[in-house]
Parts: sequence; C-alpha cells; structure tokens
Amino acid sequence: MWHLGHTLLGKVGCLGGVCGACTVMARPSDQALPKTALACQTMVSEGMEISFLPSDASKKALALLPEAAPSRDTLFQYYPETRRCVACQACSSICPQEIDVMAGVRDVLMGDLPAVAERFDSCVMCGLCAAVCESTVRPHRVGLYARRLHGAFYPQTPSHLLDRIDEISAGRYQAEWSDLMEASSSDKGNV
Amino acid sequence: MGKMETSKKRVDDSRLSRKNEDMPRLSPEEKDALVHRYHPDYKDEAYAEIRIGANKGERTVHEVARLLEGESPFFEKSVPLSPTHQVDVLIVGGGGAGATAALAAKAAGASVLMSTKLRLGDSNTVMAEGGMQVAVAPEDSPVRHFVDSLKGGQMANDRTLLRTLVEEGPSVAKWLIDIGVLFDREGDGNLSLRAGGGSSLPRLLRCKDYTGLELMRVLKDCVLNEEINVLEFSPVLELLTDGEGTCTGAILKNLDTGKLIVVQAKTVILATGGIGRLHIQGFPTSNHYGATGDALSMSYRAGAVLTLQDTFQYHPTGSVFPEAMAGLLVTEAIRSAGAHLLNIHGERFVYELETRDAVASAVIRECQEGRGVETPAGRKGVWLDMPLVDLMNGEGTLKNRFPNMVRQFSRYEINIQKEPVLIYPTLHYQNGGVKINVDCESSIKNLFVAGEASGGIHGRNRLMGNSLLDIVVYGKRSGNAASRRAEEAAHGKLTLDHLKIFHEARKAAGVMSETISPLLFPDYVNKN
Repeated sequence: MWHLGHTLLGKVGCLGGVCGACTVMARPSDQALPKTALACQTMVSEGMEISFLPSDASKKALALLPEAAPSRDTLFQYYPETRRCVACQACSSICPQEIDVMAGVRDVLMGDLPAVAERFDSCVMCGLCAAVCESTVRPHRVGLYARRLHGAFYPQTPSHLLDRIDEISAGRYQAEWSDLMEASSSDKGNV
Repeated sequence: MGKMETSKKRVDDSRLSRKNEDMPRLSPEEKDALVHRYHPDYKDEAYAEIRIGANKGERTVHEVARLLEGESPFFEKSVPLSPTHQVDVLIVGGGGAGATAALAAKAAGASVLMSTKLRLGDSNTVMAEGGMQVAVAPEDSPVRHFVDSLKGGQMANDRTLLRTLVEEGPSVAKWLIDIGVLFDREGDGNLSLRAGGGSSLPRLLRCKDYTGLELMRVLKDCVLNEEINVLEFSPVLELLTDGEGTCTGAILKNLDTGKLIVVQAKTVILATGGIGRLHIQGFPTSNHYGATGDALSMSYRAGAVLTLQDTFQYHPTGSVFPEAMAGLLVTEAIRSAGAHLLNIHGERFVYELETRDAVASAVIRECQEGRGVETPAGRKGVWLDMPLVDLMNGEGTLKNRFPNMVRQFSRYEINIQKEPVLIYPTLHYQNGGVKINVDCESSIKNLFVAGEASGGIHGRNRLMGNSLLDIVVYGKRSGNAASRRAEEAAHGKLTLDHLKIFHEARKAAGVMSETISPLLFPDYVNKN
C-alpha cells in the first residue's frame, strides 16, 4: 500500500501476522463477498477490493487473577455475557486466524480451561469476534483470561525452575562466578 | 522445469538419505574466518566514521550514522515547553520491555505514563517465535548460560550486564508464570526446553512458536489491568534536559492530530526497540513497522554514549519467496528441530546450529559464489528443508509445534510439511545500542534505556532466546530503578539547550546533511 503512496501510519503493526493491527476485508474481483484477513498476510490480486477495519474497541474487564484456584464462575464473574452465546458461528467465521472461536466459547461454558487455552493459542486479539457477536460476548478477552488462569494455576509445579531459584538465592554459584568473572575479564579467550 | 524447480526436486530427492547425515561443526578458527569474510558487519564500504558526539571516531553503518548526525525536528523552532503531563516515570515504547518497565514502576509506587508510536504491543516482541533462554535444567546452570552467551557474543559482552541477565532469568520466568504466561510443559509439570543455536544445552522456554505473542498478550493485559495511562500513536520526537546534562522529560507528537505533547518526568525510560526498518545495507527485515532506532538518535543528541554501533544481527533464515514474504522470519527453532540448509545443488554447507553470525555468513557465501537459487523477483536464497522435521520427529510435529509457520506459508500455498522454502539472511537485531549500567541508566542522568534500544548485553552477536529474557529482566530493572530515582528527585527545568550544543558540534565537524531524526517511519512511507 505504501508503495502506492498511501499514508499508512495507523493500521500497521508488526508486519509479521501476529499483532492484529491490520485487519481488513478483502474481496478478490471474482468473488461476491469479502473475507476478513490480516493485511500483512494477504496477497493482493488485480481488482481486489480492500477495506481496513477498525481496531478492537471492546472493553477489557479489569480481571485480576484470583488468590485461590479458579472455577468456571471466576470467568463469568468478569465476562458474564459469555453465557448468552447462541451458537451462531459468526465469531468463528470472521476470525482471521481461523480459530474455531465458538468452540472456544463452548469450552468456557464447560469450564474446561486447558481446552480454552489450546483454542486461543494463536489469537492475535484483533477483536473481530467480539465486534460481530450479537450476544455481546467478548471471546478473545474471556479466552485470554482463561489462558492466564490456566497458566497461573497450572495443575503441576515446575520443580526444576523452583529448585534453580533456591540454588541461586542460596549462593550455590558464587565460587564459580568469582573464578569466571576474573578469567573472562583478564583472559579473553579462555572461559 | 525451471532452475528453481529442478533444484527443489534435488532437495526432495535427497531428503531421506540426508536424514541421519552428520555435518561437521566449525572450529573456532574456521568460524572466525567465515564471519570475517562474509558477514555484513565486515563490509568496509557499508561503514562510515561517526563525526560528532560521544562516539566520535567510531564506525557505524551509513544508515545509522546519518541518523546519529541528524538535526532535531525542533532545532531553532520555538516550542512552548509548558508541560501537558507531569509524571514520575515516562516510558517510551509499547513492546515487551516498555510494558514490563511500566508494570515494575507502577508496582513500585510511581506515577507512570507510557507513550508508543504504534499501538500498545505492536512491536518486535510480539513476533518472537523461538523462545526465551533460562537455565532451568538440573544439568544446566546460569554460569553455563553466561559462557554460551559470551562465546556467541564474540566475547564482546558487558560481563556485569550478562551475568545479571542469566542470574535473574529463573526468577523472571517464575514471575511470568505467576502472571499467567502459559509456557509449554512436560508431563511432569516441568518447563519444556528446546535447543537453540550456540547453546550447549536445551534452554529455551517456549509457547509453541508463539512465545512472543503469548508474552506480549499477557503483559499488555496486565498494563490494562493496572490502568496505566498509555498514549498510542504518540512517538517521542525529542528529549528534554535541564541544560546541565540531566534528562527531565520529552516532547511527543500525537500522530492523529499533529499536536505536540510536552511531558515533564523525573525519569525517562526509552524502550523503543531496534533498527530493522532502516534496511541496513539494503537487507530486508523481520522487524515491525516502526523499528527505526529512535532511541539512538535522540539520546545521542542529548549526549549519551552508545556502544557496539558497528554490529547488527542478520538472522540466517528470512523468507525470500514469495516476494510478499520477503524478510519474514523462519524461526531458528525449526533448525533446532532438524531442518537442513541446502544450496542449489541440494548440498548442505554448514552445521545448522552454529551461531547466527556464522550461519548467516555461510548462506551469504553460497549465494555470492553462485550456489544460491534465484527467485522470480531476482532475490537469491538457499533452501531450508522443513519436511525433515516431521521425518525426524514424527508426522505432525510441524503442525503441532510450529503452527504459525505452517499457517503463514499456507497463505501463499506453500506446504512446509511437504516442500522446502527459500531463505536468505534478514536484518533482525541491533547488537549494540545505548550504553547502560546494570540499572539501565545511560550516561545521561535520569535517562534509562531497556531492551533492544540498549547495548552491551549481547556483545557482537545475540544468542537466540536471549532477547525475550533481556526485555523482561531489564524491563523490570529499569522500572524499579527509575521509580526509586523518582522518589528522591524533583521535577527539573525543561529546556532544549542540548540542541544548540549539538548543532555547534555539527557545524564544527562540517556535517551538512539535512536529515531530521528520529525517522519514526521507514523512508518509503508517505508521512504527509
């Protein structure tokens, strides 16, 4: 677009297909209806109609992580409208990342956090799913909150990580560091 | 069949026989010779001497020299400097380092304002695919991580910065997990680890090939939860000082209205990222739209010392075909998982997990010496054979572990599970940057720098996965240090006096260029 001289300052972000800034409607000339896509991931063709879509304007709930392990109600506390999903599939059909968004919403209703997390792992938070939802569900937002809950309250502990943190604070590597810092500053080649 | 197809068929035909083939590693001498001969960092004609400022007499590439020696947009302009915002800490940049810094400063009790040129989160962080290096495995250690990084950095790393990076790695990984970053796990709950180029042990934490996206999504969510004031599409155009060498604020511009915003801050953190969109030496880039090295030129004019301005990272595997994907990264983790690099004859030419500087040099050698494959658009590249990953690790590995790669190429009807792709080095990272101490403070008082904009941690070549670690460790440190400083400091006088000093230096050195910096957007963008 900028090679054609367009002043494109907004609506462009990472240019790598993951920031969700450049959502467009694009219709190849031989099609009747456009499809949503990320502009930076779309090959332009002769006669293609392209229209940039607005950024996500849905409200994010101030959803802090709870003290105790979450349940399905933790999600509903911040995103109660999720229950109103009428399974119309609009969210799934508009997603430029081809996520089965509605199935993710169903997983939320079942309280299945690992399943929600898996569904939304490629979500770029463009918010189109929320924009088209007639029941005012915000799938990307409840999806991210579910992912964060699953991550923060993961059923198992990363014991190697915790052990390493203890080792470091107990000074386990002090001697090695002293030798190494001395060696690496005086003798460049020999560490 | 065209040359490209014939060559591709050779790759397909030799796949099975290559599967268990050993590739010798380079000796330190061989690697050194290869890098000196072919790496873009050693191409003399690409370099110029810096004529003014704290790094006068040192070398950098023409594209950076031009900006460092550039004039301020406000030189000899009368700008009313009555503040529109007054805060403890101003954070410039909305990527991973900026967001982490904002969270740390807020948690430490400071009043915080964030400003970003694009939207919060639209950054290089969000694109990081491979992972984050943390010495977690029982047989690993922070010391080993340090040694690998030092060797990878050609021994040019700042030892103190590097030690802090590796030592604080485990605790920041724990912090990320606590705020809900969902790293891949093993069946026993431990973090799943992968190998990276130049690392002696598997040490990469990751979230499939969406590690940066996952990090940025969560950090951004936290910033919004904390109700931190973020001015989007409002880049900083100039720093303000008290006229005596202390940073006291900055001038921003609202890109929508064109209005200037004057911020008076006790401390400023620059977290504006790197330089990919300068397209140094004509290279394509893996970087986001706004990666134009803004921190370098602004802090340099105010008197800051920079470091390692002569070295950049060209990631070995940027896509070159189709043309629309030129420059886009193919993650190094794909090579960790077994993908081969092959020239036009279908022959391997380098051990794929050498450090990035060595692999990039080898790819450039093949193409310079006529063993590259030409694309229809006239680019040169070599093959990256990804179907081998499934062959070695089992059907479905690419789809499950690299869903982003599979999707991105499938949009152009290339199935990486079945066919190789063409790659060439792409401008990826500035190894150097603004010189900082371990609290991220630059040589200018109350001016802090975090993330890619800073320099020294990675020496002359950054190892894969050390950048995500850098932005979190030093994002936190900068936020903490800047808010501590703000507790004891008062708001200072707002002046542009340093521009006069800089202009005098320009005149004295005979710098005639009309370049205005920071650039903000790439040269090819119509900014009117």
